[in-house]
Amino acid sequence: MSQKIDPFALEIIWTRLISIVDEAATTFVRTAFSSLAREANDYAVVITDAVGQAVAQSSVSIPSFTGTVPATIRYFLKRFPAETLQEGDVLITNDPWMGTGHVHDITIATPVFWRGTLVAFAGITSHMPDIGGRLRSSGIREIYEEGLQIPMLKLVEAGRTNSVIVDFIAQNVRVPEATMGDVWGEVAACHKVSERLHELLDETEVAFPDLSREIRARSEAAMREAIRQLPSGEYRYDIEHDGFEDKILIRACIKVAEESMHIDFTGTSPQLPRAVNVVPNYTSAYTIYGIKAMICPDIPNNQGSSVPVSIFAPEGCILNPRYPAPGGARGMIGHLLPVAVMGALSAAAPDRVWAPGSGNSALTIAGQHHGRPYAGVYFWNAGQGASQKRDGLSVISFPSNLSNTAIEQMEASVPIRVRHREIRRGSGGAGAHRGGDGLKFAFRFIGDSPAVCSFIMTRMKIAPPGLQGGEAGLPGRVTIDGKTTNIVEHIVLQPGSEVVIETAGGGGFGAPA
Amino acid sequence: MRRQLRIAVDIGGTFTDGIVEDAGTGGIWVGKCLTTPDDPGRGVSTVVAQMLAQIGEGAAAEVVEVVHATTLVTNTIIERRGARTGLVLTTGTRDVCDIARELRYDLYDLDLELPAPLVPHEQRFELNERVGADGGVVQPIDTAELDRVIAAIRSQKLDAVAICFLHSYLRPEHEQQVADAIRAVLPDMLVSVSAQIAAEPREYERMSTVAANAYVQPLMVRYLEALAGRLRDANIGGVLRIMLSSGGFTSVEAAAQNPIQLLESGPAAGVISATNTGADAGLRNVLAFDMGGTTAKACVVRDGEALVKYGFETARVRRFKRGSGLPILIPSIDLIEIGAGGGSIASINRVGTLAVGPESSSSVPGPACYGLGGEDATVTDADLMLGYLNPDRFLGGEMKLHKDHAERALARLGDKLGKAAAETAWGICSVVNEAMASAARVHIAEHGHDPRSFSMVATGGAGPVHAVDVARRLRLARVLCPIAVGAGSCLGLLASTARVDRTWAHRSLLAETDWAEAAAALGRLREDGLAELAGGGAAESDVGWLVGVNMRYLGQGHDVEVSLPYAAFTGDVASLVEREFVARYKHIYGLIVPDAPIEIVTWRLTGRPPRDRRSFTWAEARGGAGSAPIARRPIYLPFSGGFAEAPVYDRYALAPGTQLAGPLILEERESTIVVAQPAEVSILPNLTVQIDLQSKSKQ
Repeated sequence: MSQKIDPFALEIIWTRLISIVDEAATTFVRTAFSSLAREANDYAVVITDAVGQAVAQSSVSIPSFTGTVPATIRYFLKRFPAETLQEGDVLITNDPWMGTGHVHDITIATPVFWRGTLVAFAGITSHMPDIGGRLRSSGIREIYEEGLQIPMLKLVEAGRTNSVIVDFIAQNVRVPEATMGDVWGEVAACHKVSERLHELLDETEVAFPDLSREIRARSEAAMREAIRQLPSGEYRYDIEHDGFEDKILIRACIKVAEESMHIDFTGTSPQLPRAVNVVPNYTSAYTIYGIKAMICPDIPNNQGSSVPVSIFAPEGCILNPRYPAPGGARGMIGHLLPVAVMGALSAAAPDRVWAPGSGNSALTIAGQHHGRPYAGVYFWNAGQGASQKRDGLSVISFPSNLSNTAIEQMEASVPIRVRHREIRRGSGGAGAHRGGDGLKFAFRFIGDSPAVCSFIMTRMKIAPPGLQGGEAGLPGRVTIDGKTTNIVEHIVLQPGSEVVIETAGGGGFGAPA
Repeated sequence: MRRQLRIAVDIGGTFTDGIVEDAGTGGIWVGKCLTTPDDPGRGVSTVVAQMLAQIGEGAAAEVVEVVHATTLVTNTIIERRGARTGLVLTTGTRDVCDIARELRYDLYDLDLELPAPLVPHEQRFELNERVGADGGVVQPIDTAELDRVIAAIRSQKLDAVAICFLHSYLRPEHEQQVADAIRAVLPDMLVSVSAQIAAEPREYERMSTVAANAYVQPLMVRYLEALAGRLRDANIGGVLRIMLSSGGFTSVEAAAQNPIQLLESGPAAGVISATNTGADAGLRNVLAFDMGGTTAKACVVRDGEALVKYGFETARVRRFKRGSGLPILIPSIDLIEIGAGGGSIASINRVGTLAVGPESSSSVPGPACYGLGGEDATVTDADLMLGYLNPDRFLGGEMKLHKDHAERALARLGDKLGKAAAETAWGICSVVNEAMASAARVHIAEHGHDPRSFSMVATGGAGPVHAVDVARRLRLARVLCPIAVGAGSCLGLLASTARVDRTWAHRSLLAETDWAEAAAALGRLREDGLAELAGGGAAESDVGWLVGVNMRYLGQGHDVEVSLPYAAFTGDVASLVEREFVARYKHIYGLIVPDAPIEIVTWRLTGRPPRDRRSFTWAEARGGAGSAPIARRPIYLPFSGGFAEAPVYDRYALAPGTQLAGPLILEERESTIVVAQPAEVSILPNLTVQIDLQSKSKQ
């Protein structure tokens, strides 16, 4: 018998569920070694019901994980059916197709039993400090170069740690204390969720399946209502990206039919032997993020809010690649999806979209200075597109949310001397409203021996276009000692080198006056 | 012996409150007036005169100390009424205030507004100078270029200048050189130097802090001078002290130098008051809980000490959104604030459940029950509907509440969910109480504590109305409601002491730390701090010094603070520091990271005299002693899910030692204590109401 949950009680329990995942998330971030987890919220904590349907997700997690952890839990359930799970099990994997699209994210899940019955799962995924393999770069050709692959395993079985798995991971990564520190931090977060969920269920005696159904049904109804506000019809948009030998095309066709939406990526470029392939979980995460930000930003993330949206990308295309396609720099292409959605829907809701801007770029630098090893990862944000209401935002992270690192902290960690961190004025595209400006960042490498650098730069050849008559921004650019370079492979930086990084400006909106 | 009086005055957003204390007996007199934003000092004079008149002839001459808190600094920044400020920066960093951290504080908001820097671009000046990450000079200052910058500052007719150079926390000499040069040419210019205001790495946050200091300084210098003049004119001879965000006070001179530290002085004093209320009842673990018209605040007090954090955000574009404000690096009582108060508006959200706040009805028209035309159902309407508030005694009877208006507004909202007005009222009350409990639960857990080891101290107009139910949700066993709930922060001002905080930003691996160097640095900080403490009236022999070492496993981004007495820092104390770190880390996170090297990130030194437990009570006895109820009325009892008659008492008619059993209502002028469940209620000797919850009720 299912019970109907009173809307007041539901609101209270719902608040509690979100505060449970947020509390676990806070604890995890504070202990995290991964700079991406803490500077960029590159993690997500989720509660699902016993069949892997998301009920609550941590509030500040970046969009890349919308819905990926519950998908992973459903894959875990295929590998380890419910009747084989027991109290004290901890499941682990970093399989890109079942997880988040690259091996750098390890997902952990634990079954939650209440009064002897499996009622829920606690799940978390986070970007590891290191997973072995080559330094992350877009030029990688196969997944085997990207690092250790962890199949679906029980890291802990009924409370007993499988030390073979621990030894295997530790042996294959550059910083075993930090990577295993974060894995155990993930396990602790799942236990925290479990403990708090027990308290909640003990207090309220609510039946978890009923709770899950009620939360999902209400979120789904709200999403359907939001879609209904859009005029039904078919909307198309193409967006191009730099690519490598050839440019890459994302082709989106969105059918809005009353209260549901279908996004078809047929016509999108094929997968590449480069680390920019986007697995379906990630394709779905960023597509749904774009839709939610546009039409219903205030609905909590759970399985219900994604039900009215279906997504198709043909197998073998860059948004649904076949194994062993690498995906370490999947963000470069995945970050185009929200603006592809907005470009298509700009005809349906011109007041709720941004013109395209640019996602973030990154630099990994490692070497030895004064005989000591150092390593750093830094992000370069760019200009964002303008909207019908106003100019685009300058130098800000979208659709991800990666902060910069203070100059003083960079200089204390790696041997560089920063010359400037400036707004790249005039780089935003003209329009009735101008695109936001990109960043101009320059430094001198002052190490006493050469450093290995990996640049993951985006929007270097094809600038973010304008929308509805707005003009394109300027593309990004990197110069080393005054020479423009387009870097796909790792490079060696010589002492005294001067590096200038310029990121793209956003597209303008509407024809310039 | 001659009587010694101490005065506390707190300027809040709406009211300026005051309390005078007879330092010998702990007896207090209170005063209150509306805040006078055009000239905030006028309200101070009014309140002080009010109180001294109550005490009688000659009281002014008996005043030995005046402790003051104000929202003036916060309001100046929020309302953007500060000085025309200049900012002198290392070449290449002029856009850093605009670029900030490149983050969106709301992932889903496509109409995001970002906080504008306090100093506009054209008032920022670059100077070619450079200190490296090791503290060495890379490029010295060229005096000819400096002269040109000073000429530009002069031509802009600025009122204040802030200086922030890269790595100045390691080597402040360049900033100092520029400050000296500016003062030499422009002797009246107020100059703020980043290494003195916030000696910590991270240029954006330090720049934001020093710019804010300069921005408020001219106004605060004038205000503090004028205030001292007013007190002199009123023949009040005592020394003026100024409350800081850290929960300690300082001298007028130090406050004028570093006014940004006053940012959260009022709320900090409120927490000190709760700390003292707990201490006076023999409790050292307290959750300070304050609920007013628009917000609720909570702060953890552990072992008799309120938590202090070293980063803070002000002037948020969206008040309850972390990351939407300007960062300020000052020691500040670690308060959480959520948008839940008496005026918070209830509505149906997009998923068809009940949402309360953060939108709040302003005082006009206000909640529906004010009868001033407000249509929205608010928390106050719900409280009235549930019988918790007395319609004839709200704010001591100054404002009559209209239950029929409340009922109509609640019924209108309830209709959409198929609920009656009373059910809707309890829905609002439980949603807002759960929101506050959830926020407090996460805040307590972040610091590794168990809520059940805390007692709650409730203040603010709506605090005592909601405290018992919030405590029940947090499984706290005890709630305390001190006297003078409307002027609680003034009791905190009186219970506080002088305090200084100093920082030494010096990173090293624990295993490679030069302990002699650290001891020498701490010694310098102590010397510097002593001078300021003397100005705050603290004798050197009384001052206790505590060293905070911020540490983490190498590679982590958050640190854990280990606190040790200054006296422990003799010689190599690596193993002691490591033990403390591991214990603290394990306590917070439940696990440690084996084999990972430990890093020290920042050193902090706090100095202050011991804060004695203070016992305050009314100087003149109020009401008659009697424990009979003044009325009975039906109130909503959540554990039985319905209304039942409960006795209503006049709080101040109850004598110390009185024992009562809940459910019951205690009314006082400024608030109402609601006990809607079984509980033991006792009146303590200082008239604090103590409520011991009985844990048999269920949600």
